[in-house]
Amino acid sequence: MFALGGVLAMLIRAQLASPHSAFMGPEVYNQVFTMHGTVMMFLFAIPFFEAMTVYLLPGMLGTRDMAYPRLSAYGFWCYLIGAATMVVALVLGLAPADGWFMYPPLTSTEYSPGINADVWLLAITFIEVSAIAAAVEVVVTVLRYRAAGMSLSRMPIFAWYILVVAVMILTAFPPMILGSVLLETERALDWPFFQVDKGGDALLWQHLFWLFGHPEVYIIFLPAAGMIATILPVMARTTLLGYGWVVGAAVSLAVLSFGLWVHHMFTTGIPHMGLAFFSAASTLVAVPTAVQIFAWIGTLWKGRPELHLPMLWILGFFATFVIGGLTGVMLAVVPFNWQVHDTHFVVAHLHYVLIGGYVFPMVAAVYYFLPIITGRTRFFKLGEVAFWLVVPGFHVTFLAVHLVGLLGMRRRIWTYAPEDGWAIINLVASVGGFVTAIGFALIVVDIAVNAAVASRGRRNPWGAGTLEWATAIPSPSYNVASIPEVRGRYPLHDDPEIAVRIARGEGYLSWPTRKRRETLVVGTSRAEPLQVAVLPGNDGLPFVMAVATAVVFLAPLWDAYRTAGVALLVVIALALRWAWSNGSTRDEGPLDAGRGTSLPSAWEVPDPPGWWGSLFLLLADATMFGSLLFGYAFLWTVAPAWPPASYVAPGLLDVLLALVGAAALAAGPRLAARALLASRGPWIGLLVALAGAGALTAAAASIWAARPDPTSHAYDATLWLLGGFVALHTTLAAIILAYVCFRVAAGYASSVRIGETRIAQLWCDFAGSTGLVALAAAWLPGVFA
Amino acid sequence: MRDVLRLSVPLALWLAGFSGVYALQGLTCSRHWPEDLPARPALLVGWALAVLLQAVLLWLISRDPSPSRFVQGTSLALAAVSLLAAAWTSMPVALTSTCL
Repeated sequence: MFALGGVLAMLIRAQLASPHSAFMGPEVYNQVFTMHGTVMMFLFAIPFFEAMTVYLLPGMLGTRDMAYPRLSAYGFWCYLIGAATMVVALVLGLAPADGWFMYPPLTSTEYSPGINADVWLLAITFIEVSAIAAAVEVVVTVLRYRAAGMSLSRMPIFAWYILVVAVMILTAFPPMILGSVLLETERALDWPFFQVDKGGDALLWQHLFWLFGHPEVYIIFLPAAGMIATILPVMARTTLLGYGWVVGAAVSLAVLSFGLWVHHMFTTGIPHMGLAFFSAASTLVAVPTAVQIFAWIGTLWKGRPELHLPMLWILGFFATFVIGGLTGVMLAVVPFNWQVHDTHFVVAHLHYVLIGGYVFPMVAAVYYFLPIITGRTRFFKLGEVAFWLVVPGFHVTFLAVHLVGLLGMRRRIWTYAPEDGWAIINLVASVGGFVTAIGFALIVVDIAVNAAVASRGRRNPWGAGTLEWATAIPSPSYNVASIPEVRGRYPLHDDPEIAVRIARGEGYLSWPTRKRRETLVVGTSRAEPLQVAVLPGNDGLPFVMAVATAVVFLAPLWDAYRTAGVALLVVIALALRWAWSNGSTRDEGPLDAGRGTSLPSAWEVPDPPGWWGSLFLLLADATMFGSLLFGYAFLWTVAPAWPPASYVAPGLLDVLLALVGAAALAAGPRLAARALLASRGPWIGLLVALAGAGALTAAAASIWAARPDPTSHAYDATLWLLGGFVALHTTLAAIILAYVCFRVAAGYASSVRIGETRIAQLWCDFAGSTGLVALAAAWLPGVFA
Repeated sequence: MRDVLRLSVPLALWLAGFSGVYALQGLTCSRHWPEDLPARPALLVGWALAVLLQAVLLWLISRDPSPSRFVQGTSLALAAVSLLAAAWTSMPVALTSTCL
């Protein structure tokens, strides 16, 4: 994908190299720059660090695999199918052409007829399923699947960074997913969320998009920063200076980045005070960024650096990212932002940040971890040549792009006139761009040649202190033969024999006596051993389910809504089949975990891995719900064509149904769990909860009955969406409750195996509480009106 | 999990406070805000509440320390950052025009 994005970049530079270029027409150029941004942001940057994480994180944490290996596979297949769809659309000339941020009204059916915009909205939303899947399992893996004794203060620094990033994905992606749903619904069904004359507002899209889009920059930067914080101390032959400060800076940067979204909207006519809030927040993020930079410089200062190739790329990062950061501070200043908005200055800034802050450190990471991946020691030195092509070539290109932006060249224009005075600068930028591209191609050749024919290497060639280097190289699929107990941040330095001890089976769960794949679940904070989790075997289900999910998302491109509906039923059936393969029909009691420890199976605890996964998935869901309420409040406050002709007001029966339904959803699963604990049947509780789901659905349906035409006004469309949100979650709760009923009947529950009932309780609590809030939001304006 | 909450709650509440003050500013400039009710005092109260909330959190975290020195130090630092962020990012309510 990086190669595809790079080729598209070269097409852009070829087009802009000379004035009045006949290389591409505006229609093709629009598709090319849109796809360049889309490919690089959605199909390369995020999937690449997620892939590195899924591969490396278990080793770093000293565990056997990610928490949900089948979810990893499902996410991978979703990504692959979605990305392939985008590429095929490009080849067929059906690629989106409205810029990677897809602003309406340009993306409305009036100005973007055809399916090009729908391809973006549906395929990118589909791909985001994989991002959310990966984020859930990263959070659960970091919090619960670590080596014994690896407390929060002993976690590898990359684990901290990726934990922060995963939480960011769970909270930043939902606003964009919601925005895509709204825009696609408007395009397909004419629900007027962004049509001003019908109570919509195009600015709502910008808010939802940048609520995702600005944190996205840090979602991309922080994993790279995690790689730097991992690699730099090793290259400097020391330990990371200010570990706690770096963790604090990463957490601060992650959260503060959510307060910046409007700084992409400084020219939209927002009042000065609003601009000042976001200008202040934008300048503030420079502080935690600087803390990290100074910690890394300090690490170099206290160590004895060696200039291996990864270190060279990190130095390239420093030189580039600091410039990108400074131009970012310039752009945070409102008057300057007004001057350069939508010019090539912004293009240059974002490339300095993203290539300098992400690509260069990730190249360093690829070279650093290459021995783990290939098992070989790099011999051919093409990488050094590539470095000296890429970094100078990049600076030639984008310093020139800064300049041409300051001279007034706007973004996304397909050509310019000779008298504009931009020709020579653009030519220089294009030459630099092609040199950079040749450099990146050399990196690919270098890695391929070294992976194929370089000599076999030894374990831990860099002398690192973290656990991923404790295994043989290339690392085996199970990562560690036994799960170690660690006593410090750098286990290989603390105990040089730990690799041998792990291989000898002196850790936990060393012998597969129970003939299944097991790993350790530990306490979140102190990492004391708590449970034995059973990992699934090889399974084709994730692939089949990804294909079915693809049909759900992509069939609407051809208006095949019935096919999409059938595929959705297939997805639900497959998901239930997936869940059914977990668990046991008998109580196993405490299991021998090695080192004289007995632990319960993860199937026999109140908080099994599925409970934690549900918890964090619901965090994303809650963010989606919050975004929906924000959109509603935004339209109510700002949209010109409000208030609507009338507001919906509830009847007494509707309110009673909502209150009783939510109460039953809350009480039912608790009654069921209590009955199971007392070795009684949980049927009454489950039936109460099912009835509650039905009552709440009926209350939501009353909104639809009261306002039957969602196309008439954005208010009506929003009501339909709120009702839809409630109905979707009560339906999900009902499916889960019915599933628990069947599981109990099949013997998968007992007084110790109550985990699945507790998971159902989580989903029921969410459905009930959000249902009440959604219905209150729908009804209150009518009550007060 | 308490330690994770200790580390994450102050900044999460900063974000909630920041968004709340921004939403209040939007409301004061909208047709729903009563004309005879001055906007700036309401915004100043919102700002003060956001800062006060952070001060209380900082006090609570310092009063009930985590057993882990790392968690305690980092959570105190993050609570202090949240307090400063609350004071800094909503400061425009006292300095700039409300709805221009």
